[in-house]
Amino acid sequence: MRALVIDDSRAMRRIVGGILRGFGYETIDAGNGQEALDALAEHGPVELACIDWNMPVMDGLTFVNRVREQPELRGVTLMMVTTESEHGHIVRALAAGAHEYVIKPFTADAIRDKLDLLGLLPMEETV
Amino acid sequence: MTATLLTSDLVLSVAEEVFAALVDGEEGKLTPWIGAPVSFVEPVVAWVDLAGEWAGRAVLLTERSTADDLARALLCLDPAEDLGDEDLVDAFGEIANVVGGNIKSIVATNGDLGLPHVSTTIPDASGTIIEEVLLSWRGRLMIVRVLHLS
Repeated sequence: MRALVIDDSRAMRRIVGGILRGFGYETIDAGNGQEALDALAEHGPVELACIDWNMPVMDGLTFVNRVREQPELRGVTLMMVTTESEHGHIVRALAAGAHEYVIKPFTADAIRDKLDLLGLLPMEETV
Repeated sequence: MTATLLTSDLVLSVAEEVFAALVDGEEGKLTPWIGAPVSFVEPVVAWVDLAGEWAGRAVLLTERSTADDLARALLCLDPAEDLGDEDLVDAFGEIANVVGGNIKSIVATNGDLGLPHVSTTIPDASGTIIEEVLLSWRGRLMIVRVLHLS
């Protein structure tokens, strides 16, 4: 399974990517929404995209909207991973088409629980 | 707009949660600072702006060597591995970003969080300090400051 990790912080990409690789994912990094769209065009659809909200060039919400405009990407599960934790932000992201919402700071267990709910944990990792 | 809900205990709680989850992997490494604050010889400051109905800024201030070690902890670097300025800016800025985002959720600005900035000088801002918490991370001073920007 492949995951796209979209965050303008290399430290955060390293943390999220490390957690996902621990669950058996192959990961692709992107520093903003535009880089993520470019990566999808280059590598094709992935099973999961973990998306920060506030990023330069293209923010996470715009990325979600762009992905949802493309029928060939409807199989990509979109999970916001962000510090934006006000109720209005969560509602906007879910309304735009995000499937799940993880608020920073998070633990590996929190990511695991969300992936399990989404049915996106490899079989040996399913709890 | 509920800035009055913000207390020093809540700021401490936010910082403790962020450090336990992202930096230390366990609780108890970040505690209230006891005694008079020490002066920073080579300060590093990171901040994010909180936009919306209530405009503010969350600021983290510490010594350069402490910020270096924070970045190393966040990036899980070995002591022998080089830490570049870019790594420091990225990691220390991200810690400020997560602390600021969680403070913003308490204040409920109904706006967006800005992108993090890192500098060696405290930014000019025409604002009022509404909370300032002195913390000890592994025995070293770190200051979390929240300003209301006018």
